[in-house]
Amino acid sequence: MSWFRITLHRSAIGLPERTRGVLAALGLRKRSQVVFHPVSAQFAGMILKVKELVKVEEVDRPLTPAEVKAERTPEPGFWLESYVAPLIVCWCKPRGT
Amino acid sequence: MFGAFRPTNSMSGGLLWKIRWRLSQPQKQRQRKRLRAVDDVVATISKALAKKGETLKQLERWQAEMPTEAEMLPKDKYTIFDPKEKRYRKAIHKLPKWTRVSQRLNPPGY
Repeated sequence: MSWFRITLHRSAIGLPERTRGVLAALGLRKRSQVVFHPVSAQFAGMILKVKELVKVEEVDRPLTPAEVKAERTPEPGFWLESYVAPLIVCWCKPRGT
Repeated sequence: MFGAFRPTNSMSGGLLWKIRWRLSQPQKQRQRKRLRAVDDVVATISKALAKKGETLKQLERWQAEMPTEAEMLPKDKYTIFDPKEKRYRKAIHKLPKWTRVSQRLNPPGY
């Protein structure tokens, strides 16, 4: 089973109520939001109504919200090669002095 | 006198909009890019539905009637029919929401 991966690319501000209704029915609220819907004539028709606003790809499986977020997250900028336990230093006064 | 808030004609109130009568070269380039993006969406949907063996009347009609970006004439890409205009054509950026609506066909003969 394949899925449509639909990204809202252009905002629907100022467009007719019908157009905004279709976006709401697809579950798209804000730009760059990604939703997945199964490939069927019903969803194809809905996408065609808003084809100027969205980007569409065909994918094998829907990604989870966590996977979508991981795609969007940039690299941290550092990589941990090996973990070194922190050295605990005691600044107490030694006994007997 | 200078800067963003200088008292030019368009800044001192009144209904004076600075919109060129024709599109600039980058505007035309972006217009072509948007047309191709819509073509891509239609192609993706058509391919996905064909794999499942489903059909959609709306999609078939679009493919039969609407030219793709490559098939369109430059005249239709950048201008639009208007009965009130001299020579019946005006630049497409006069169309409200022109970057988010599909306007590909014009009356035959114009």
